[in-house]
Formats: sequence, C-alpha cells, structure tokens
Amino acid sequence: MMPLEQTRTLSLATRLLGLIIGTVLTLLSVIFGFVQGVAVPAIILYALATMALFFWGWKFILPHFLIEAEQDAEADVTGPGPFRRVWIRFMPSLLGLGAILIVFFILAVSVEGFLNGWIVASLIILLAIIVGTRAIGPLFETNRSAFIGIMVLIGLFAVGAMNIEGFSSGYNIRSMLLFAAFLGMASVGQTLVALLGGLDLSIPSVIGASNVGMLYLISQGVPPWLAFCCVLVIGALLGVMNGLLSFRLQGQALIVTLGTGFMIAGGVQIITSIGTAYGGNVFGTVPGWLSNLAAMNGQTFGIPIPPVIVIWVLITILLVVGLRMTVYGRYLYALGVNRISAKRVMISEMKYWVMAYAVSGFFSALTGALLLGWSGGGFIGVGDQYLFLTLAAVVVGGTSLMGGQGGYGFTVIGVLVLQVLTSFLVGIGLDYEWQQFIFGLLILPMVALYARSPHIRTQI
Amino acid sequence: MIVPISLFFILFTIAVIRSPSLVSASGIGSATIVAAPLILATYALMASVIAGRGTVDLSIGPLIGFINVTMVQVVTNGYFTNPFAFFALAFLLGAGYQLIFALIVVYVRVQPIIVSLSGFLALSGINLVILPRPGGLSPEWMSTWGMGRSVFSPPLVVLALATLAWLLFTRTAFYTHLRLMGSDERAAYTSGVPITVVRIGAHMISGLFAALAAICFTALISSGDPSQGTTYTLIAVTALVLGGASLAGGRAGVFGSALGALNLYLITFVLATFSFGAVQSFVTDLAYGTILVTSLLLTLVLPLIQRYARSFSPLLYFVALGVVVLGVTLHSVFDYGTLSAAFVPPVFPGPLDLSQAMTGPFEVATVDAATDGLRMAATPLIWGVLIAIALAALVRVAFTYGRTRDMAPAIFLLIGLIVLGAAYSISRDAPPAAAPPPTAVEAMQ
Repeated sequence: MMPLEQTRTLSLATRLLGLIIGTVLTLLSVIFGFVQGVAVPAIILYALATMALFFWGWKFILPHFLIEAEQDAEADVTGPGPFRRVWIRFMPSLLGLGAILIVFFILAVSVEGFLNGWIVASLIILLAIIVGTRAIGPLFETNRSAFIGIMVLIGLFAVGAMNIEGFSSGYNIRSMLLFAAFLGMASVGQTLVALLGGLDLSIPSVIGASNVGMLYLISQGVPPWLAFCCVLVIGALLGVMNGLLSFRLQGQALIVTLGTGFMIAGGVQIITSIGTAYGGNVFGTVPGWLSNLAAMNGQTFGIPIPPVIVIWVLITILLVVGLRMTVYGRYLYALGVNRISAKRVMISEMKYWVMAYAVSGFFSALTGALLLGWSGGGFIGVGDQYLFLTLAAVVVGGTSLMGGQGGYGFTVIGVLVLQVLTSFLVGIGLDYEWQQFIFGLLILPMVALYARSPHIRTQI
Repeated sequence: MIVPISLFFILFTIAVIRSPSLVSASGIGSATIVAAPLILATYALMASVIAGRGTVDLSIGPLIGFINVTMVQVVTNGYFTNPFAFFALAFLLGAGYQLIFALIVVYVRVQPIIVSLSGFLALSGINLVILPRPGGLSPEWMSTWGMGRSVFSPPLVVLALATLAWLLFTRTAFYTHLRLMGSDERAAYTSGVPITVVRIGAHMISGLFAALAAICFTALISSGDPSQGTTYTLIAVTALVLGGASLAGGRAGVFGSALGALNLYLITFVLATFSFGAVQSFVTDLAYGTILVTSLLLTLVLPLIQRYARSFSPLLYFVALGVVVLGVTLHSVFDYGTLSAAFVPPVFPGPLDLSQAMTGPFEVATVDAATDGLRMAATPLIWGVLIAIALAALVRVAFTYGRTRDMAPAIFLLIGLIVLGAAYSISRDAPPAAAPPPTAVEAMQ
C-alpha cells in the first residue's frame, strides 16, 4: 500500500477536472441568477459561495473516497462478491433506509393528499442528507458531532423552507435567532459545568428569580441600570453558592443544584410578595432600553436586529476563543478530562468548579433579566422550559456530560438545531404536546449518532 | 440512616402537636393514601438507581402520568373494568416502557440520563395527547379507595405488599448481582455476572413499582391528570436522596426510601398547618430545597460522627426516638381538650414564657390548668435528664480524647465551666416563682 500522504493529494487530471466542473457550476448559477432577475451583488455572492464550497468539497472529501476505492481494489479478490460486501458493511443503514421508505409508502397510501411534490422533494433531501452524513461523517474524526449537527440543521432548514410558507423569511429567521439567543445564553453555564462533569439544574430557578427580582427592584424605586447590575451580581453569587455547596458532593451535583433551585425560587418569591396582595406576581414598568434590548422589534444602532442576538454572537465569539486560547479554558478541559492529573499539575479543582457555577449563575441571571425586557412582566415560571432545553442543547450539540469533551461552539449548534426544529414543528401546525413528543424522540437518535459509550468489554 | 430517622421523628412530633387529628383513623388513612404514590414512585426510582451508571430516571413522573391517563381512558371509553385486567395493563405498560429504556441503555449505549430526559419529554407530550385536560373516570371498584376513612385502606395493602416484595427480592442472588453491578460494573462483568440481564431486570422491577404508583395515584385523584404525575419526578428524586441512597449506584434501602418519602409528605403537611396564605407554596419550595441541601451536606459530616459513635444501632435509635414521640403523640391526642381554631402567631419577641418556650410556636391547642400545672412540674425533671445525658456524653468524650493534645484544653475548660455554673446556681437561693407575664396571645384575647 502506498504512503498516505501520496494518495491524499489529487492527481493533476483530477484537479483539472474539478476546476472545470467548478467553473461550469459557477457559470450555470450566474446564468440562472440573471434569468431569475436577482440583484447583481447577490449573484456575485452566491457564485463565489458555490465555487468555494465546491472546491473545498473536491479537495477535502474526494481523497477519502479515492483511498477507499484503492483499498477495496487491493482487498482479497476471493472473498464475497461486491454486492455481498456492500450488504455486510452497510446492513444496519440499509435496513434503516428501507424502514424509512416503507413508512413513507404506508403514509402515502393511507393519508389522503400526502403524496405531493413538496413532500417527495423533502423526503429526497432528507435521504440525501442522511446518506451523505453516513458516508462523510466517519471521515471527520474530530468534531463529528458538530458536522452531524450542521447537516441536520441544513436539512431541517431546507425542508422547512420548502414546505412552510414564510419559513425562510427575514422575520421568521429573526424570531428564531431571538429565541435561540435566550436559550444560548441560558446554556452557557450548562456547557461550562458539563465540561467539568457536573450539571446545573438551578438555571431555570435563577432565570425566574432574576426575572421577578429585577422587576421588584425597579418597582421599589431602584434605578433600572442599578437593578440590572444588582441582579447580575446576585446571580453570580448564587452560582458561587451552588459551586461551594456542590463541590464536595460532585456525584450528586444534579440534586444539590435542584435543591438550591427550589430554595432560590421560593426565597425570592417570599421576598417579593411580602407586603403585596398578589402572591408571587410583581407589577411594574419595564424601562424602554431593556425592552429595546430584547424585544422582537428592537434595533441595534438603527439596524433592525434585536440587540440580544448581537450580544449572543459576541458572547459566543468570546467563549469559543476563550475556551480555546486562554489558560482558564485549557485548564477547564484538563480538569474535565482527568481530575487527578490536572491536580498533579497544580490546577485548583475547587477554583474552577466554583467559577464554572458562578458563570452559570451570572448568565442565568442575564437571561432572566433580558427575558423581562422581552415579556414586559415578571413571572417566576419563565425559565421552567430551560430546565430540559439547556440540557438538550448541550447534549445534542455534542458536549459530553462526563466532562472534558465539547465546547460552547457545539452548544450553539445544538441550540440552533433545537430552535429550527421547534419553528419547523410549529410551522407544520403541530400542537405543543406533539412538539414535545417529537423532541423527546429525536434527542435520542441524535445523541446515539455520536455519543455512544464504549462497550464494557473494552473498558477493562 | 441517622438523618432520615431523626428528621422523621422531628417532623412527626411537630405534625402531631400542630394537628392531633393526624393520628386519628381517618387522619392516618388519608395520609396513607396521599403518601402511597410518592413512596411507590420512590421505590421505582430506587430499583433503577441501584443499577448504577447514574441512572436517575427522570421519566418516572411522566410514566406514572402515562399509565394513569391510559387507564382512565380505558375506563371512560368502557373497554373493561375488571381489576385483574387493570393491574395487568398497568404492569404491562410500566414494565414495557422500562424494557425499552433498558434495551436502549444496554444496546445503543447512550447515557441513561439522556434516555430518561428524552423519555420525559416524549411521555409528557403523549400524556397530553391521550388526555388533553384533567378529567375522566376511575373504575367503579376503585372509588372507595380514595376515601381514607379507616387505617386499613387498599393503598396501604398495596404498599405493604410492594415493600414485602422488595424485601423478599433482597434475599435473592439477583439482588446481590444488582448491587455489585451498581457499585462496580467492571468488577461485575469480569466476575461473570450477566450484566445485560441484570440491568434489564432492574428496569423491569422499576416499571412494576411505577405501575403500582400509578394505580395508587389514580385512586388518590380518582380521575386522570396528564401533568400532575410529572411533579412526582422531582419529589421522588428528593425523597430518594433524603433516604440515604447513593445516586452513583449500588446503595439504596427500602426503609430509607420509604422514610424519605414520608418525610417529604410530613414537610408538606406541617407547612400546611401554618397558614402562610398566598406564599404557602413558596414556603414549601423553600423548605424542600433547604432540607434537601442540608441533608446532603449532612451526609458529608456523617462519617465524622460515625468515627466517634462506632457502635451506633439504627434500630435502637429508631425505637428510642419512637418511645419519645409516642409519648408526645399520646399527650397531644388525649390532653388537648380544646383546639383553638384561630391561627396562633409565633411570638418571638417579648418576655420569655416557659410554657411557650417549651412548646414553641408550634402548639395550636390551649391546655387546661391541670395539664399545664403537671407540665410545669415535669419541666425540671426533663431538663435534668437532658443535662445528665449531655454531661455523660461529654465525660465519655473527655475520657476518650482527653489525652490528645488538640482536644484536651477545650474539653476540660468546658467541663470546668459547667461545674462552676452548677455550683453557682446551687449556691443562690431559688427565686420565688413569679406569675408568668401575660403573653401577646392572651393580650390579644
């Protein structure tokens, strides 16, 4: 067998072929653009994007197939025939494919009006994505979950855009991004804590508490900016408390944070309802800048994008770079992978554990305060859905709950997948209960695609 | 076990003092009926938690709700109402769901917490599909279950049988395998335990308990409720931890779990006797959280205590506390002539009234003069006994650890102070017993 490096570079003929195909594709897209009457800058942009994508794929993905083909050719000729070999190798996937097709045909026969062009097209897209993921996925040894997540995202978006009126409109995308921003901020803490192998179930309580608490402070006459800062500081302090309490009980962090969550939610409600006749409900006016920050029609320096999205993007960049480049980020991973060896190189376990929980509390409080701007009224249960959604976002993104693997970039993909999925399910007119049902059923296969633990046999 | 037992007796005492009707036939009956689903749900959680790998089955609550709404729909649509068919259906649903759960954990090899998370979402969704809003009918034969007029109600029988079944189960080799697998799966695998079979079995048992919990839950509300069952997840996890189980696996006991669940019920009960008005549910939340975190932190201190008290017998502790609480119960049941209907506000500031200080802000009853006199006469005795016990313990500690350098000065200083204080109080003449000043309560009346 030849050395790997030689086979990985393409031969001159192949490269020329790729160049020709890419150019033709780009020209075709330009011609189509002019025929459809799209604006010229957009055409240039699309053409460049097409070309770049094609060349990237040609350069990086094709070699893998070439190697495989060579290996197949070198394999023993006396074995089972080619069809038999393919069958043995892909048996589970082929069976799954068959099952999907059978289900589709049953649905097509039984449901009136099911068989129309759009749905068939969506099925083909879905199948193509599944096959593509299956074929290319193993080639991405690192970051496989991110790759699968992006593929699912593209597939969902494509199917949604084809089947649902206004799915890919600017308004819908903006609203999806808005909710994704809230979920993304709430998941920051969960991601960091999961990187250390812990869990934080107090996030929804802190969100609800900061939501109610901030409005309470404002209604007591505290200037809104001061109330905002107060809430953030208190959130971080609650996080520190969580971290300190759960440090010695790391195996039961789940339960400790659940308990502190109960305490926080109960305590804040008692404080805010002393002296009022409405138990738990706080009334007050939300300042204009806060509404602008988080509302759907908010503006960032005149651009009609809610500032929350911009804030989220900034946080994402900061965190992704921070986790990769800074000492804090690297030590976090080191602790998550192996506690004992991290301790041997003088990394303080307690410091990082408490810091991760403090960050979690801070971002939960931030989410709660921003949700106040979005909803305009305080409600303790505003964060309840985030209990499982943050966990699901972390898990779907591909951060291992055992610690040490993943990162915030993965969680962002998970958040987007969940958000597009929700929007899609709402768009095809499913009720809340069916949405939840499908959510539950979809998390499992998505996780099973990349987060399977090894068999016990291999752990001995 | 020391934490749940102590907590149980403290809570029970307060509950009895606050509301003596708890120990009447109907009081115990209704308490059983309310607590039975919770205890059974805790058992269900216990069976799968022992299996290890961090299997905290978050979907246990929705599963109970799922069986509940399915049974109610079966009755409402009139398919069948036969009790045996009913139990069979519940068992089938519970065990079937847990079988799927176990197969996914074993063969797909996804972390159990993720499977349970996805089960939670899927089941709470499907519950609302089966029964969109609370309603429906429970079967005819179940209608008397939820009355709670006598102590021996059918839920109590179900509870007793379930406990007995678990105790019998602990005598089998299967249980030993289960505990071995829970505490160290690799060791179990290398020593030839069929871990696949054991894990599936543990989940199926958990499913059976969930089915029983669902039946008791249906009897309690005698209708269907798609979302109420979901609350059992968090309460059952809390109860399990209160009962001293390890969520890492391998360690959990039936008595601990039952006590944990009872404690949670008693917390709610005691808090309900204080009328907090609009903030009632928040206070309950606060108390849940505080007790949960405190009892978890106590498990850290426990090894320390056990170092000093090596020959500690949980059974003896249980019996000793039981005798004390029995006395309090008898007292509160037979001596309380009249129950004051109005809420007595806790009086913290103001002059210290001895009888008030003894019963604290908890007592709702007004005691007649004879009992009050008797109680005053008994006070020095009680204090004397308490001080004697404390002294004995101190002396014991002093003799054991008096020689170690760090402990000695502190202990001898303490004993010296106590002796000096006692001498001082004896040397003084006993002051004449003044009539207690009127308390705020009496002033109000």
